[in-house]
Amino acid sequence: MSQKRGLGGKPSFFFSLGARSIKRLLAPLSDALPRIVFRLTCLAILDGFALWFFWKTVIDGIWFLAAAIAIITLGINVIFLREDLHPFRWLAPGLALMLLMVIYPIAYTIYTAFTNYSDTNLLTKQQAISAIEKEVYLPEGGISYKWTAFRSSEGKFIIWLISEDGQMLLAKPEEPIQHSPQNNPDVGTLDQENIPLTIKGYQRLSRIESVRYLQELSDIEFGLPPDTITIRSLDVAAQYERRYHFDRLKDAIIDLETGETYRAVEGTFTSSSGITLSPSFHAPIGWRNFYRLFAGVAIQGPLFRVFIWTIEFAFLAVFTTFAFGLLLAVLFNDPVIHPSYRKAIRSILLLPYVIPFYLSILTWRGMMNPHVGIINKILESLIKFSPPWLSDPGWAKAGILLINLWLGFPYMLLITTGALQAIPSEINDAAEIDGASEWQRFWYITLPLLLISVGPLLIFSFAFNFNNFNVIYLFNSGGPPMPNTPSPVGHTDILISYSFRLAFEGGRGGDYGFASAITIIIFIVLAIITLFQFRYARIWEELSENV
Amino acid sequence: MKKNFLSCMFSLLLVGVLTLSACTPKPTATPTAEATEAPTQAPTQAPTEAPTEGPAPTLTIWVDTLFAPIIEKISRDFTAKYGVNIVVQPMGMDDVREQTLIAAPAGEGPDIIEGPHDWVGKLVAGGVLAPIDLGAKKDLFVPAAIQAFTYNGKLYGMGLITENVALFRNGDLVPDAPKTWDELITTCEKLEAQGIEYCLLLQQGDAYHFFPVQTSFGGYVFGVNPDGNYNPDDVGIDSPGSLAAANWLDMMVKQGHIKAGVDFDTACSLFTDGKAAFYITGPWNLPLFKEKGVHYAISPIPAGTEEAKPFMGVRGLMISAFSKQPTLAQTYLTEFWATDAAMQKYYEGTLKPPAFLSVLNKVTDPDIAALGQVGLHAMPMPAIPEMSAFWSTMGDAITIIMQQQADPTETFKNAANQIRTKIQEGK
Repeated sequence: MSQKRGLGGKPSFFFSLGARSIKRLLAPLSDALPRIVFRLTCLAILDGFALWFFWKTVIDGIWFLAAAIAIITLGINVIFLREDLHPFRWLAPGLALMLLMVIYPIAYTIYTAFTNYSDTNLLTKQQAISAIEKEVYLPEGGISYKWTAFRSSEGKFIIWLISEDGQMLLAKPEEPIQHSPQNNPDVGTLDQENIPLTIKGYQRLSRIESVRYLQELSDIEFGLPPDTITIRSLDVAAQYERRYHFDRLKDAIIDLETGETYRAVEGTFTSSSGITLSPSFHAPIGWRNFYRLFAGVAIQGPLFRVFIWTIEFAFLAVFTTFAFGLLLAVLFNDPVIHPSYRKAIRSILLLPYVIPFYLSILTWRGMMNPHVGIINKILESLIKFSPPWLSDPGWAKAGILLINLWLGFPYMLLITTGALQAIPSEINDAAEIDGASEWQRFWYITLPLLLISVGPLLIFSFAFNFNNFNVIYLFNSGGPPMPNTPSPVGHTDILISYSFRLAFEGGRGGDYGFASAITIIIFIVLAIITLFQFRYARIWEELSENV
Repeated sequence: MKKNFLSCMFSLLLVGVLTLSACTPKPTATPTAEATEAPTQAPTQAPTEAPTEGPAPTLTIWVDTLFAPIIEKISRDFTAKYGVNIVVQPMGMDDVREQTLIAAPAGEGPDIIEGPHDWVGKLVAGGVLAPIDLGAKKDLFVPAAIQAFTYNGKLYGMGLITENVALFRNGDLVPDAPKTWDELITTCEKLEAQGIEYCLLLQQGDAYHFFPVQTSFGGYVFGVNPDGNYNPDDVGIDSPGSLAAANWLDMMVKQGHIKAGVDFDTACSLFTDGKAAFYITGPWNLPLFKEKGVHYAISPIPAGTEEAKPFMGVRGLMISAFSKQPTLAQTYLTEFWATDAAMQKYYEGTLKPPAFLSVLNKVTDPDIAALGQVGLHAMPMPAIPEMSAFWSTMGDAITIIMQQQADPTETFKNAANQIRTKIQEGK
């Protein structure tokens, strides 16, 4: 409290935090004013940004993100404007981040699972409509022209057009097109190609100079609507007309050339006769992704085998890394080793943890290559046997566990070393006096105490390995492949890598909607397993009370 | 006091970071070119001296890191001549496609991208590519390059270079190129008697490198409609020709002429060490082979029951449908790139078979010429989105046969059904 009192006396340039609103109310106005002004300025800047971003997402039709931004901004405003909510000011940044980085992605994943969002249904409806509306056509009897641009010093343009049959036109934006402009007094003498050398107030652009202004020029409609001419390329301008129009009331696209109506059917504008317009957009499709997951032939065959291996892999991965990490931790925790050596050894042992896993896995993959791999060459010369790491299902699984052991043991070494040092040595000393052997002391005292502190980390580690896509995919892409399955799958595929195959190597490329549906199911499975594990972990805690 | 001040700062910082992270700023392309010669004088009679004030427009291109320097270098000529800035953004090849799919609809994407033609199906279906009108300049390109970038009857890219595989052989071990697989097998048997362990290197699980084998027995991937478009409902993996190719592969592995478990890196190292006689690969390996001093020779893929046709990949420039300067981007391609000068420079910078006829006809490099000869029989890789069902499934089937896990005929039949199921479910 003394700190706060100290602050209260001086004018603060920062909005205040903590429970002292009464004090502030009593404080002289001159004291509070700069603070309030500053707070309001900050809020105004934030709101400005948020509004701009909100508007941008609304224009693009990204409703979900727009909603998230709106909720977060409103929340922050309420929290910072209402005095009675001011304890929440502390939490505001955290809450905002949580909403944006955790809640929003989860909500969006769930939403996506019910849509056909994929590589082929990538755009939002608005984006698809504006892409379709861009299309133009040259109506029957429409003439195309060669054009030459003239530019005034204020940056205004005028174009001189010559049709194929030699007819000349002069067109300005938002003015009627002039026919037979060669009689116009402003127009200078014509050159051999019937293009005037000068037009009063304008300078002629050569073909090369036009390129620089080309985009500006092609965005202009020359002439008075509806008779307008637009530039389509460096050579051609013509009376193009818009091909499609989106009718908001009918929620359909009308072909202005033929009168055909295209209605939005599950993300594609489709005519009554089944003709579709490209591009498609993503739209809700109900439970179809889940139906496809549970009823599709592709999923039924190998799914059970994949699931079993996923559990096996996650369990063995945690077990092997923990056992090895603990072994090293115990070995190098021995006071026999001089502390400085201990530190050096530990640092070296932590190296695999700092090397990017991507490099490690690919290096291992190379070393385990049956033809040129160093491991296989050595084994071949030593014991005349080189394990088929990449082609035999059993050896492939062993190889993956071995690589994962290399990648994962430093983490376990790190956490167990810390936990070991936190165990009071008196307990062990007492047991020693009671005549317990070293093994008994480790098994009945150190390990149970250790498990209490690292138990939750092991559960987390299990959940991590359950979805450890990197090791599986980078080592052998889930291979070796299983023969004669209804859907392509490998012997070492775990659920997440199998999902990747299903969702991203499917018939039409990446299918994010389907991938989201699978993710949700995997999350549910993993949540159930983890819940059981925490139950089990609580048993440990109870045990520890008796120790 | 200090603590309170710090926490104030911290929460401010967080809010600031939040707002900043929420608003991804547009990359500000800094126009470096001249903004000169404001026309102060009255319009003169000379039509060539036009005003060039105002900020110069800028086109952004996303390019594979490999090709970025050369594209940037050649584009400098464009900037010098037309006063339009070109910003070349190098990135990983797959990033170009993935980032374009994400960034383009959000309005943050490039005007032009560089990439292989088989992206076209996916990118068009995703709505991120705009058609290109080459007009009469179409005839200046290798016909297969135009065909490759044509999707649903529209052209979506302008080819710069072509790529296809051929049969590379170690000239020290094999002086004469085999014309048929039977000739190749005879050579293999001779070499294996001399202790050469690896006869033909075929990358395991690689449907791209297997395709010429497949076609050499009359197999195909997707059938072709009368209008020239690929038909995803006609899967040819279990056609008699493809099954014959599967059995040929099985036989080659059983006889030891092809070894299982050879991936790209292994194959490169075996071939450059002189341990292998033949290797089906493409121009991307030429720099390595030259560097390692391998005495290699290039010839067409041997024939089976018919002539082998490898896939042709074409790399070129495509225009984003979300470009705010489509006409300018189009002009950059047609006026600048589709010229002998630019294409010649690009060929000299990349040393890949050019897709521009006049440059191709001037090629003197024997390797490029040999690859180009093989390319004359190549088929453009199908660009339909359904190809994504093909690559991994077919790759797995080839791996299964090479690892001798199942009967080749059954494996290919199953792969065909897997692809059909995927396409059906993806609809």
